[in-house]
Amino acid sequence: MNAVPLSVAGDGERRALRFLAELSQALAESLDLRATLDMAVTRIADFMQAEAASLFLLDHAGLIECRICVGPVDITGLKLAVGQGVVGRCVADNATQIVRDARNDTRVNVRVDAETGFATRSILCAPLSNARGPIGALEVINRRDGSLFDADDAEILRLVAAPAALAIGNAQLAHGLVEQQRIKRELELARRMQKSMLPKRRRGDFPIRGVNLPAHEISGDFYDFFDLPDGRLAFVVGDVSGKGLDAAFLMVRVASMLRWVGAQAPAPGAWLAQVNVELCRTLQDGRFVCAAVGQYDRASGKVRLASAGFPPVLLHDGIDFEELAADGPPLGILDDADYGEREFALGQSALYLFSDGATDVRTGATDRLGESGLRGLIARHATLAPEPRLRAVIGDLKRLHLVDDTTLLLLQEPCGTQAHTLLDLEFPAQAAQMRSVRAALRHTLDAQGVAPEMRDQLVLAVDEACTNVIRHAYGGECTRRIALHLARERDMLAFELRDQAPAVDPACLKPRDLSECKPGGLGLPFIAATMDDWKLEPAADGYGNILRMHKRIDTGSTE
Amino acid sequence: MNATANACESENLDDYTLVRVRGEVDLSWSQQVRDAILAALGRGGVGVELSQVQYIDSSGIAALVEGFQRARGTRRRFGLIASSKQVLAVLQLARLDKVFPLYVDVDAARSA
Repeated sequence: MNAVPLSVAGDGERRALRFLAELSQALAESLDLRATLDMAVTRIADFMQAEAASLFLLDHAGLIECRICVGPVDITGLKLAVGQGVVGRCVADNATQIVRDARNDTRVNVRVDAETGFATRSILCAPLSNARGPIGALEVINRRDGSLFDADDAEILRLVAAPAALAIGNAQLAHGLVEQQRIKRELELARRMQKSMLPKRRRGDFPIRGVNLPAHEISGDFYDFFDLPDGRLAFVVGDVSGKGLDAAFLMVRVASMLRWVGAQAPAPGAWLAQVNVELCRTLQDGRFVCAAVGQYDRASGKVRLASAGFPPVLLHDGIDFEELAADGPPLGILDDADYGEREFALGQSALYLFSDGATDVRTGATDRLGESGLRGLIARHATLAPEPRLRAVIGDLKRLHLVDDTTLLLLQEPCGTQAHTLLDLEFPAQAAQMRSVRAALRHTLDAQGVAPEMRDQLVLAVDEACTNVIRHAYGGECTRRIALHLARERDMLAFELRDQAPAVDPACLKPRDLSECKPGGLGLPFIAATMDDWKLEPAADGYGNILRMHKRIDTGSTE
Repeated sequence: MNATANACESENLDDYTLVRVRGEVDLSWSQQVRDAILAALGRGGVGVELSQVQYIDSSGIAALVEGFQRARGTRRRFGLIASSKQVLAVLQLARLDKVFPLYVDVDAARSA
């Protein structure tokens, strides 16, 4: 700060410094900035021997508004553009302005005098600024003794402006923090309210489970399920376009609407159509809602489903996925949209409805998990019971980077038994390891009551899979690992073989035709001939391959 | 199942070689079995005795197929002798049980 040097300060300067010190302290100690600034501006007017003084602050719109004013004419509320008048020029240039002859100075706004009858003769205006630039200005008008403001007066006003600007800046910061806290509290409240709208988890053998993971405090996603009077279960998953508070409010509205219409048990296509018409009438700003709705009859095992622009619904029988695409456009776009619907038997399959947040999960800086990635996650945990499986999939999604609200609804009848691990082996990719691996596997299969012929064939298939990993995936024997996991769920044996080799393209694995007699290439045909199904896929975490093989066994008699 | 040590021995019977294989024929040593069979085919007919084989994988089967094809190309006799039921099961799985000449013992193989 370019202060007046104390050593050469005369009486006037000493007086100025004392005033500055008092003013600074008053501003620094202020609990009520408004009152303190009122007092400060009055004292500045007195100290400067000015007829009038005013304090201007830049507002959010970029205008300079008079916030405090002392003197014969109250101009509080007067707004100026940056660059307009003396004050505007002061803020625009972030520099003190001195007007010695107001009547002949082009900077002076003559309108105020004309309207008020006040005669402006001389003006001094200093900018209020902080590190980021000007935040306003301090203006004094007309010396009471009729003389003109001089350079010393300008310097004093400039010095006085500094603590005032600091106090205002601090107050604005504190106000901002309080405001942030308030918003945070309100968002937390909104989040809790929103969460309370989601249906309560039902325990026991209830076949519907849902999870909603908001990317931020509040979510534009929702799910719902409820009982219909005829005993069927209705379910809904939705995703409102956009994020934040307005998406959340719309979500609340759409969720209520879907529940209201759905409670009358309309066919799913008609259900969507009715909500669509209502939303088309009231939605604005290009907003829309993706939703899938359905009904499930536990007695018959039948599912009826319709989707409005919702990501493909996946039906997984534990081995293969069936993709059920949307039946119509998102809700709120075309008021005459038709929504088809489909009916199918659920059986033991799992129906997954997930919002696009699940596939938008980031697996790298820019890579998305995508639908195939999500399928991989689901398949990876396919042998788990529904509840732990959903938890495992969600756990995997959370470990990746969630960028959008994510909702998953799982419809599946609980299975009687859960998969339990029979064998968990890890060994280096060396052919000499295979003999003990086979022995362990034989032992395990014997303990499960698998007939010797089938046991030997399963051992052969697993052995062939392992040697394929050694020879082809790893490109020869090495110390890298192979992990073999065997689980059983009821009469299904699930073999899982993992390696850490570079990804193998599953498309290039085709069992060869056995009618040709030639050495080599028999491994895959052995696997294909033995297992009910097999599938090679890249590991979900990006490195390595997983070979899954399933075999339904008959432990009652020999196959 | 009694674990038998892996072994591959060749026994010369005039112009015929009996290759006796024991144990579990897998990737770790099927190459030795292949080499023994091909070496024996250089001297004359070959019978591969498999009664003590508790396990054979696709690399072992490949060694047998290669021997069979080499024998056909050089017009040598080639047969599998006293195949264990484990070997037969894998041959069936590979649909090779009708391809290889199968004999109950060495005499049957030599007199074929």
